[in-house]
Amino acid sequence: MTNSNLMRDHDNSDNPVIRFIGLGETGVKLVETLAMIGLKGVQSHSLDTDNRSLSRCHQSKTLLLGKSIPCGLGAGGDVALARAAVESDRDHILKLVSGADLVFVIAGMGGGTGTEAASFVARLAKETGALVVGVAATPFNCEGSRRCNKAAGGIRDLKQSSDVVFHFSNEEVIQIAGGEISLNNALEIANRHLCESVLGLSRMLIEPGLLNVSFGDLQASMKGRHSLGSTLCVEGVGEDLAADVMKKILSHPAARMGKALSEATTLLVHLSGGENLSLAKINTVIESISLHASANDVIVGASGSGSDNVLQVILVIVQETKSNNFIMDANVSKNLPENEALDLSYPENFMPSGENSYMDLGSDSTGANRVRFAYTPPAPAVETITPEMKDSLLEAAAKQEPNRKKRKEIKQEMLPLEVISKGRFEKSEPTIHKGEDLDQPTYIRRGMMLN
Amino acid sequence: MSDSQIIVGLEIGTSKVCVVVGEVNDNQVANIIGLGQSKSRGVRKGEIVDVSVVEEDVRNAIVEAEHMADVEIQSVFLGVTGSHMRGFNNTGVHPVVSADREINDADIQDVIKNAKAVNLPSDHSVIHVIRQHFRVDGQDGVLNPEGMLGAKIEVDVHVVSGRYNRLQNPIRLVSGLHLQVENIAFNGLASSLATLSTEQKELGSLVIDLGAGTTEYAIYSGGVIKHTGVLAVGGDHVSNDLAYGLKVPLGRAEQLKVDNGSAVIDPESNDRMMDLSSDNIIPGKKVNLKHLQMIMSMRLREIFELIANDIEQAGLIDYLRAGVVLCGGGARTPHITKLAREVFNLPAAIGRSSTVSGIKNALDEPEFSTSIGLIKFGAFQSQAMPKREGLGRAIRKQFVSLFGGRK
Repeated sequence: MTNSNLMRDHDNSDNPVIRFIGLGETGVKLVETLAMIGLKGVQSHSLDTDNRSLSRCHQSKTLLLGKSIPCGLGAGGDVALARAAVESDRDHILKLVSGADLVFVIAGMGGGTGTEAASFVARLAKETGALVVGVAATPFNCEGSRRCNKAAGGIRDLKQSSDVVFHFSNEEVIQIAGGEISLNNALEIANRHLCESVLGLSRMLIEPGLLNVSFGDLQASMKGRHSLGSTLCVEGVGEDLAADVMKKILSHPAARMGKALSEATTLLVHLSGGENLSLAKINTVIESISLHASANDVIVGASGSGSDNVLQVILVIVQETKSNNFIMDANVSKNLPENEALDLSYPENFMPSGENSYMDLGSDSTGANRVRFAYTPPAPAVETITPEMKDSLLEAAAKQEPNRKKRKEIKQEMLPLEVISKGRFEKSEPTIHKGEDLDQPTYIRRGMMLN
Repeated sequence: MSDSQIIVGLEIGTSKVCVVVGEVNDNQVANIIGLGQSKSRGVRKGEIVDVSVVEEDVRNAIVEAEHMADVEIQSVFLGVTGSHMRGFNNTGVHPVVSADREINDADIQDVIKNAKAVNLPSDHSVIHVIRQHFRVDGQDGVLNPEGMLGAKIEVDVHVVSGRYNRLQNPIRLVSGLHLQVENIAFNGLASSLATLSTEQKELGSLVIDLGAGTTEYAIYSGGVIKHTGVLAVGGDHVSNDLAYGLKVPLGRAEQLKVDNGSAVIDPESNDRMMDLSSDNIIPGKKVNLKHLQMIMSMRLREIFELIANDIEQAGLIDYLRAGVVLCGGGARTPHITKLAREVFNLPAAIGRSSTVSGIKNALDEPEFSTSIGLIKFGAFQSQAMPKREGLGRAIRKQFVSLFGGRK
């Protein structure tokens, strides 16, 4: 039923099918904000292991992960628990992402659910053939090194399983706005930026334009890059629209004083102005952007549906892959032991049945008319689970632990930087040049892949 | 024999020990009369790591050279290298004190002495102090100020220094073989002496000696040496990268490098596999030729880029009008000149040791340039120091100037 619904969506409109999927508390909050803005034709889904955070969702469709294990109480920062939860709902998530052209996986890193589930969902989405953009917020440094390390690992995993990751660190807000900023404001800036990224990119694809930046352009510039990126949305006002736009772009936190521009491999620029948006104006903006970006692929789009006095510019930056990490492509990831881990999962009757799913409950009300009424999910369906079953489930989850460890180790081996043998130079004096160990093969240091 | 002088160059390299015997006649023209080589087993990155093995290798090479040249080798000019060596420019200043303001020989000696007084780390000692040019009262480009009038005389010198203890290792080893070390020379300098003509030095050239363990480079411009440097990266690194990347033993990797290597990726090698199963390494082992060339090309390109960066920092990249000259075993890599042209944006060629005469065919190979350069270096030295002064005294004087000058 859900599938047919989605398929119809796909057929009816020429626009690419876009899904927002929020994971964990932060992700859910962001998706809820995005859903509130209500971009036409975009479906928003909130996924969490915590019932409480889902109960605050009114605009997006919700799905409780791991009804049977954390029982809607949240993963509490336990990535193993989060993993088990998200894996148990694999089929549901697959339904959510199937049929989509572009999937945004939105999560806050550092906790349990967001950190662990994001890469899993991204991988599922990738397997269905969608272009996957990860959107990640990372914690403040003062939240502890453990959380920060976990966040870094989460970002790395997400980068491996999605095409591009838009990443914004809360710490950057402090660096830009100063330490005196209130926590509330800081979080708001970070959230606003991430929402802006997602909305800007979606709008660029959906809004009809004079010069279109098509989904194909996006796909060509992002697919399989596994890189970092960001999206800037600025509005130029006043006499000299182009100069104002440029000033705002450069002072934007995500542009990092223009450094992000110069490091970018691809830039997608979309301008929307009034009906008589002049070519000269477009030219000025593109030229001044190109000034800061050296020898890059710049794709330009423009639309004239806005107002005359405001020039809106959406700039998508795709950065070069700093590929110290080994990158897995979707078809490689299919062969990963993850799926083996899945196989030792749960007896059939433990799986939450399709009929009881929130997916189905939500799917009969489309995003458009759901704006008006709030949808609160019912309590998790646990009646099929007896206490004994629950115990054995928890045991199964515990048993999975050593397996998971083993898999982690295998992953480690795939990151060659950590275990590079220097061969015959193992015992000789290392040749360090500007912090690089020249004894290690150049092709590894430069991230070249032999395949 | 009576009028000629025997000069022997000894290079203890990472891949081979090479002895070249030269005969210098009265006209100071060097003529190569003998060559001895042996595989080097105890050297890593240009420095000795196993003394007893190296001793044996050096002895073998010396014996071979003695046989070929039919002379008894008593003393050698020794090439040294290693990551510890540094090259930099220094200036010495000296006020002319004589009443008539005429610059005499003593003034020149003094100003050079001042230039030698460089602020080195305590464990470093000076190997070469090479005069670039003099300045008299700010007038630039004076080649020989003797007899000129002036109040202040300055001299620019290029100084090559290295760690005292690490320089002593090869010297002690050679001395232990009852051979006298007449002088030591930086390998990069020696290679440049062998490969560059006077015109090339005048126009400005870069000499890169791609050795097995180290890569040395020297820059000439306006006829004088401007810059030298060493990278402790060389052909061994290429082999090691290949062994790691292609998962073959190091020895086989070395062979693959020699047989199929290329400094640039050949578009035709795309997806060509080489079957190695006949070598009994791993049954059915196949190696992708493109991977091989990619690994090699990246390493060699990196070496060139590091050198290019260094030269750019020294501000000399625009002075290299005669281009890049490549020598050393690495210069045998196919298409290496193409890669050098790409990286430096300058013409590049393989160095020919054409500046000496003798058994040309055997020696006109890039890997002998250092040893041949040592002969040239030796010829210059003995020219500067007439033989009748007595060899023992001459050597003592040399050593005093080399190591005794260290304060």
